[in-house]
Amino acid sequence: MRTVKPLLRSLFIPGMLFLGACCCQKDVVVAPVPLPPPPPPPPSVELGDIFFDYDKSELRAEAVEQLQKNFDWMKQNVAGTLIVEGHCDERGTNEYNMALGERRANAAKDYMVNIGADPARMQTVSYGEERPFALGHDEASWAQNRRAHFVGQGK
Amino acid sequence: MTIIVPDKGSGTTVVLVLVLMLLSFVFISPSLHAEAAGEYIAIRKQGAGKVALVLDRSASKGSKESGLAQNLDAIIKDGLIFSDLFSVLPPPSNIRTGGDGKGSSLNFGALSSVGAEVYAGGTVSRKSGKVNLGMEVYDTFGTKLLMKKTYTGSEDQLRAMGHAFCADLIELLTGKKSYFGSKIVFVSNKTGSKEIYQCDFDGQGIQQLTNFRSISLTPVFSPDGTRLAYTSYTSGKPTLYIRSMSDNSIAAVGKNGVSVDPGWRNGSEVATTLSFEGDQEIYLVRMDGGISRRLTNSRGIDVSPTFSPDGKLMAFVSSRNGMPQIFIQDVQSGQTRRLTYSGRYNTQPSWSPSGDKIAYSTWEKSGEINIFVINADGTGLKRLTSGVRENESPSWSPDGSMIVFTSNRQGGKKLYIMSSTGESQRRLLQMDGEQMQPSWSLFR
Repeated sequence: MRTVKPLLRSLFIPGMLFLGACCCQKDVVVAPVPLPPPPPPPPSVELGDIFFDYDKSELRAEAVEQLQKNFDWMKQNVAGTLIVEGHCDERGTNEYNMALGERRANAAKDYMVNIGADPARMQTVSYGEERPFALGHDEASWAQNRRAHFVGQGK
Repeated sequence: MTIIVPDKGSGTTVVLVLVLMLLSFVFISPSLHAEAAGEYIAIRKQGAGKVALVLDRSASKGSKESGLAQNLDAIIKDGLIFSDLFSVLPPPSNIRTGGDGKGSSLNFGALSSVGAEVYAGGTVSRKSGKVNLGMEVYDTFGTKLLMKKTYTGSEDQLRAMGHAFCADLIELLTGKKSYFGSKIVFVSNKTGSKEIYQCDFDGQGIQQLTNFRSISLTPVFSPDGTRLAYTSYTSGKPTLYIRSMSDNSIAAVGKNGVSVDPGWRNGSEVATTLSFEGDQEIYLVRMDGGISRRLTNSRGIDVSPTFSPDGKLMAFVSSRNGMPQIFIQDVQSGQTRRLTYSGRYNTQPSWSPSGDKIAYSTWEKSGEINIFVINADGTGLKRLTSGVRENESPSWSPDGSMIVFTSNRQGGKKLYIMSSTGESQRRLLQMDGEQMQPSWSLFR
């Protein structure tokens, strides 16, 4: 009996495997291997414009918050690149505004680089007062036009 | 009253004063010593008014010649009126004595009686396919021939011929070269995108120079007219280009950052704002687009360079003290002084061709933008526009007698001209869309 028991045992395991394999042959297709539950999707971050005071290229407090979000967008879209457009309102003269628009774009980019953004993934361009967002001729429109606009590419 | 003095350089010493005696029918004419054309310079007192000129119909034989003569007369008349130096009078009916044919002579008495100071008239003829315009100019009071010259060209060069005469006449009377033959480059959004155009000094002959369907800005001709510097977004960012007008070859300034508002220095270099070293500074750029050297070094915006005619001094806009003001820098030593103290927002300087004045625009508290002129030493500030919304981008005519600028006084931005002291403000041209950033060529 002592020698029969291990023999039976050794036959039992391949036997069971054989039977199991026979049983499973039909089931492989219909019974999926249970997957681990997927992680919840991270809240998708949207790029947003930032706005400036009249004749200024310094960042406002709420602009800093938005730049953090725009940096989060870069972290989320690791292959994405950003074009930072600097814009001005229609007041003042075109040539000076072209320079002012560049300072706004640079101020936004510099801040994001300081908090960790890869400068190689960011480009700046000044449009001066050439591409207004709002077309009105009042402070409400001008305030929307004094902005840095972010264009995300290749996310 | 007109005072005519001989050019001091000519050696003639007699100063002649012509007094129009209002209460007398008898005009005592001091004899004018008109030995040669070009000796007279009419010095017009402030408010002295315009030179009263009778422009006679050009004589011609044959119907073809008659048509050419009519065209030439109209071109000359328009040119002289445009100059704002003349009141052009119609010829009196008794302009000639001794009949209409050959041998008749000018009736100077009749010319004087209609108040004419100067008479101009010509003959038009054709020879071997060329048009000849023979012009004579007389001082009517002195009954002296001031100028006699023949202009020759093909039939499609009538404008150039008529304007050559206008230029000679104005040079004769003012002692200065005029702007006839010069061009104005400007930007228009007529097609929906900002492209560069040029026109003649009088707004005629509009030509589109770019068709990039991008944004093209701040064009300016080199002093000799062989090159055009401008900023364009064709590469996606504002880049300075220098284009040869003869073969259309283009050199680009391939540096990062904005490159805006070029200004020529001595015809061989262009100054422009670049920001590849971080801050926005003004650099001199060679014809091939390479950097020659950096001119400014201050925190803040430095933009819109314009040079004295000798190239030694540069006026420019800087925000180094906060709001934009105009500064003057010695190019050699780098020494810089502030030029404008009146007004909180002063930009767009343009150095006059004679070197003594700088025109610029001020954004005023009222919301208006107005054009001012100031002496290069900071004295003599004068406002040239007021009460008519936004007036921008002044640029001097090559003789310094006029300024072209942008105004939205009638709605959209259009090009206007005025005298260098702000008189006779009027539309330069009729064109769809908006026009802006005019720059008057120094060549003519």
